[in-house]
Amino acid sequence: MSYTLRGRIETRLVAALPALLVAIVLHRWWAIELVAVMLLVGVLLDAALYDRVLAYQPGWLAVPLGAFELAIVYLTVRALGIPAPLDLALLLYGIAWASAQLCSHAALPRLQLSYAEAGGELRRPGVLTAIAVPVIVVLSLGAAYATRAPTVHLHGTVRGPVLIDHAETLVGGTIRGGVVIRSSHVKLRHVTIVGGENGIDIKDAKHVLLDHVRVIRSGSDGIHVRNSSVMIDHCTVADPASAWVQGIDISYSVGRGMSMVSNCTVAGVREGIVTHSAEVDVMDNHVIGTSLRGIVLGEMSMDMASGNEVEGAQGVGILCLDHSMCEIKHNVVAGTGVDPNGDEARAGVAIEAHYYAQAEVADNTVIASPGGTRAFDNSTISSK
Amino acid sequence: MSTAGTAPLVVAERCAIVGGGLASLAAFATLRHGGVAAGEIVVFGAHADPTEAWRRRAASIRQRRMRSESDGHLAPAAFPGLALRAAWRTRSPRPLADTVTRGYHPAVDDFLAHADAVRARCGWDASFVRRGVARIAAVDGGFEIDGEGPFAHVLVATGHPGLALPDALAGDPRAVHAYEPHDYAERVTIVGAGMAAATEWANALEAGSEVVSVRRREPLRRPLNVPRPLFSRRGLASFHRTPPEQRAALLRELGAPSYPPDARFDAVLAAAAAEGRFRVTAELNGAEQVIAATGFRRGFRNDPLLARLVDEHTLAVHDRWIVLAPDSTVPALTDERRTLSLAGVAGQWAFPAGDTIAGAKYAARRFLEHVCRTR
Repeated sequence: MSYTLRGRIETRLVAALPALLVAIVLHRWWAIELVAVMLLVGVLLDAALYDRVLAYQPGWLAVPLGAFELAIVYLTVRALGIPAPLDLALLLYGIAWASAQLCSHAALPRLQLSYAEAGGELRRPGVLTAIAVPVIVVLSLGAAYATRAPTVHLHGTVRGPVLIDHAETLVGGTIRGGVVIRSSHVKLRHVTIVGGENGIDIKDAKHVLLDHVRVIRSGSDGIHVRNSSVMIDHCTVADPASAWVQGIDISYSVGRGMSMVSNCTVAGVREGIVTHSAEVDVMDNHVIGTSLRGIVLGEMSMDMASGNEVEGAQGVGILCLDHSMCEIKHNVVAGTGVDPNGDEARAGVAIEAHYYAQAEVADNTVIASPGGTRAFDNSTISSK
Repeated sequence: MSTAGTAPLVVAERCAIVGGGLASLAAFATLRHGGVAAGEIVVFGAHADPTEAWRRRAASIRQRRMRSESDGHLAPAAFPGLALRAAWRTRSPRPLADTVTRGYHPAVDDFLAHADAVRARCGWDASFVRRGVARIAAVDGGFEIDGEGPFAHVLVATGHPGLALPDALAGDPRAVHAYEPHDYAERVTIVGAGMAAATEWANALEAGSEVVSVRRREPLRRPLNVPRPLFSRRGLASFHRTPPEQRAALLRELGAPSYPPDARFDAVLAAAAAEGRFRVTAELNGAEQVIAATGFRRGFRNDPLLARLVDEHTLAVHDRWIVLAPDSTVPALTDERRTLSLAGVAGQWAFPAGDTIAGAKYAARRFLEHVCRTR
């Protein structure tokens, strides 16, 4: 088809309507933002590139152009920090692409006989629809901005415990006595938590983000998560108040969506990162000097540990435990010490599967860990 | 509604279509699709079957595939196209894959079968009157057609004004026009360099003949008759702004014979040339058969109806074209109450590919807008 510039843009806007409706139904701001990015990128490409170089656009070109735009949209979304889950974002993009094909090849030529002759330019109802789409997007973005969670900047030290029971973003500062999160869509950025029963206690919440948090001197768990989904990135948990403190414990959260712990440093605790009945990706963390285990993926969890460095753990480095299914790859486990209690399962085992657990291991590096990689109590370890 | 035949018309019709070929059927189907009742339209034509003339020409050159693509059909809306219909009918995705890569050209039989279906569906036969038209006269409130009417809106789709035969071949008993039924002698000379000529080279070679191609220039290789942007507003907007002299020059250039690039076809010709069965010359030789693949006579002067229309109404013309508005109407005879529109080859001043199915639909869709505007 030989589009005019106006035809290209009008067609693109009208064809975005199904994706926009899906975004509205999803009721997630990232979805609206993604549609806005798709439209912005598309219209800019239409004006700056396609209209100039494509006097005629054959049908097959929709595939490479779709991939090209997808790459630009992806990079833009990343650059803008839009928190779009990759799978749903791809689905939304796919809907927009498919709808563009259906509109330009079927629906619009059917509804407007002279669609192709008009170079894709639409008649009054189409033009009104094309105007409505960006208006809805802009209004939605405005609503998203107006109703966004408040951001609270902390300065200095605040006496806790602090209870957060509505969506908000907390930035900076130090909180003594811990933080209790009981709401979804809470973000903590660059906050230091000192003390508290649990440094950060999260329960019954989704879409919680802990970014660059530092937790020290907690009494029980550094970060304690129950029935929730969290993203924890670039955290530090250290200097526990007692020998019984766990670093990060995400438990009983199956069905709440995936959680992720990445780029964290956990040092000097009893267990570094622990999961029970949860779905967690444990990636690129540094776990040092634990007294019981470095990383535990336990109790019917379906977890992955990859790219972690577990150093100087006493007894066990990485443990897949109790009917869990674990993927353990690209980790470095070094200097795992032998527990003097004589338990064979704690004899400096770098990677271990225990009690009906199934571990799939690949490309791990084990250094100075006399127990090596082992399975106990009807567990299996398989290599990819 | 008037009855088919030669009885005087009881004029309840607001619209008349003059001409009974493919462009006429496309216009009729478009009007019906746009909500114009069959009883409001009358079609004057020479053949009850709108595909008859085209079918005979296609059969003469043994054309099996259309040059047009999936949307080259006579139904009012482009979708669904012939590729989708073929895919559905054959339960194969192949036609769809071909159309995405622009490799789909409908079979002539499929095109004609679909044309028959369009004809049946839109009620063409009930509106058709078998009658040649000699005169269209502008009168108060519309146009009289051979004294009958007035019709508020008239679309003229009389098609090509006859076959073109070079003067040198006039009266030559060896000569036959490509678009007339013929077989192939052992040694055949084919005059021309367009789509029909290329088809005839292949036909004659396939029949075992030795072929001499007589042509004055090397053939142009174009996928379609005109560049694709000229099928849409992208190219048409500037075409319509072009001064008359330049526009006529462009139309002359676009009217040069051409056929689509096709590597397999080229290989067949090359192989035949290597065997000494195909060669090119500039002059006629002593072949026992001469096939004139020289297309049609050109210009409105060769169409008595259009020539009279121009002369009686002093219409603006340029070279061999009647000057039309961008919507394919005759400006001097079109206003808020009446429309005179030209479709087909006579509509080239508005749409360079006027003599294609796309051209027929272009004129038909704009004609519909005029008809609907005055309802």
